[in-house]
Amino acid sequence: MLSIFSKRPCIKCFSETSKILLRCSSQTATSTIERNKDQLKRQIVEYRHVYPEFLPDPKIEYRNLIREKLERADMVARRTQVDIPEFYVGSILAVTSSDRHNPEKPHRFVGICIKREYCGLRASFIVRNMIDHQGIEIMYNMYDPTIHKVEVLRLEKRLDDELLYLRDALPEYSTFDSNMDAEILPEGTPVPINPIKVKLKPRPWLERWERKNLKGIEELDLPERFFKRAKELEKPWEKYDLMKEYMRTIPEEEQIEIFSEVQAELHKLEVQRKKMKRKRVIVKPSKLA
Amino acid sequence: MALALNIVSRTSHSISVLEQQMQKLSLVVFNSKREKHLNPKPRLRNPTWLVRKTRSHTDDPITFENREFIKEIVQDKLVQSNHAIDEIATNNVIWTPNIQRTGVIARKIGVYPLWLKNGSKMQTTLLQILDNHVIKYYTPDNYKPHKEIRPKVYNKKGCILLGAEFGDPSNFTKDYCGLFKESGVLPTKWLARFFVSPEGALPLGATISARHFQVGNYVDVRGKTIDRGFQGVMKRHGFKGMPASHGVTKTHRRGGNIGGGGEKARVWPGTKMPGHMGNTYRVAKGLKVLRLNTKYNVIWVSGQAIPGETNSIVYVYDTKIPTRTPTNPLPLPTLLQQTDEDVPEDIYDESIHIFSDPTIIFNEK
Repeated sequence: MLSIFSKRPCIKCFSETSKILLRCSSQTATSTIERNKDQLKRQIVEYRHVYPEFLPDPKIEYRNLIREKLERADMVARRTQVDIPEFYVGSILAVTSSDRHNPEKPHRFVGICIKREYCGLRASFIVRNMIDHQGIEIMYNMYDPTIHKVEVLRLEKRLDDELLYLRDALPEYSTFDSNMDAEILPEGTPVPINPIKVKLKPRPWLERWERKNLKGIEELDLPERFFKRAKELEKPWEKYDLMKEYMRTIPEEEQIEIFSEVQAELHKLEVQRKKMKRKRVIVKPSKLA
Repeated sequence: MALALNIVSRTSHSISVLEQQMQKLSLVVFNSKREKHLNPKPRLRNPTWLVRKTRSHTDDPITFENREFIKEIVQDKLVQSNHAIDEIATNNVIWTPNIQRTGVIARKIGVYPLWLKNGSKMQTTLLQILDNHVIKYYTPDNYKPHKEIRPKVYNKKGCILLGAEFGDPSNFTKDYCGLFKESGVLPTKWLARFFVSPEGALPLGATISARHFQVGNYVDVRGKTIDRGFQGVMKRHGFKGMPASHGVTKTHRRGGNIGGGGEKARVWPGTKMPGHMGNTYRVAKGLKVLRLNTKYNVIWVSGQAIPGETNSIVYVYDTKIPTRTPTNPLPLPTLLQQTDEDVPEDIYDESIHIFSDPTIIFNEK
């Protein structure tokens, strides 16, 4: 509609053209608002994966609009001081934080993110690595002011939402070089999914992994009775439970409301991060030479 | 016929005579000193403001237009009472530890962590101070408690009745709305009573904001605990229960023995047993105010074990723990709000790390 109006030649008298112009302007205003809304919607589809902790608690009885607003303001305030990039369970991170037992040197820990949980300021993630043949896991609070830097060395997802089974897997699956270089993905590419299948150690395990319906593990070498019991205990009807799904998720209208509040700030931080990234890319070859 | 009537009148006469005689007897009995406890005065008398709150819903024959009109009037009054100007008599009395100020009605809106400047994490509870209005004030001589405990009370306190959160007056009873007549405040959903020293008295209709409290001071918070229903001994008192296996049958979560034998041969009063858990008023004492938000009237208070669920009503007042009384004088009777004053949106305690501050770096000492 808009394009037709603008391309129309104005041969008629002045009053008519002015009318048309007026109509045009009002239309452009509404269309820009709509376009902005569309853009916001598209961004928010991404935001719910990039910033899952900005969404309120899935438990309805813990929610309060004012508390969440204050919490989000605090989260954005912290994000202006530290760059917390987009990462997922399965990504390889390097977290630098100040160490009270070694005040001179901040502590840098490299490892794979095996879990992300909670929302708001209490959001946390677990990083795992093997150091001197010993599995080490550190749980970081995402908004802890002692964290200096969170670097994503390899941005990728795995087949499962939690990788706690790496604790019972062979050590090579959770061993990462602490001097690893960051792998830079070209802009605009979707986050790659690593289809690796992990081989678990023989039992005893920390949990009964055969009951968890995991996709990222190799076929288990267990007696038949284990699978039989797992089959008995599985709840295949849960994915059809609409009420459960409704309680677990936040409706899109609410998400738009929440993200439109912090969108301006988050977008500014994103632009800043991109600038920094470009700088880093340019600096690298000079260092090598 | 006449005979029957005669009999009836005669019997009724005799009954009345008997009744009179009995009354005389009973008077003699009840007036005697020996039997004075037979019909004693009630120990507990409900306070005057404890009246039936909500009225039963009826479909009144009101037209749609009239209903809208009533809604409009309520809305107008709401706007008016929000803009009620406070006239707090400043009697220039400086606060001393023996002066008791009023408390406030608040809502528990959630728990989230704050970090201290030394890098350690601290769980805090957020309490939103509601729009508190003074509804009644009883002077120390005027206030008659429902239970007289001591014959003589030194340093007698007055009593302030506060209301918070305006409700729809058409949902409340006439008696309940009558409580608010004196102050001119719209009927509120919540009422609370606080004892105050005569110096801490507030005029009717005055409002109290979050800045009534100061950062770094301590408060007590009273609330109704979460109702957990009838619970066993493991959940209610934290008993250990009994083993799951090794021949144990039917006693995995039971309390076990409840008393000794021999001469005792009974259960001691107060023995921990299964029963109803929660839904009682409890006070969390000595909580530090770590942060204030003046825009939303929210205070951050240390600790996460404050009685009540999220979004429940709690009562907040200056702590009564003698070792935690504030050293600096508090605003008395409450803080006067000046419109031209520049108040920061967030006020922090010294120990708290502000989120917009740079990352914490430990210095070697």
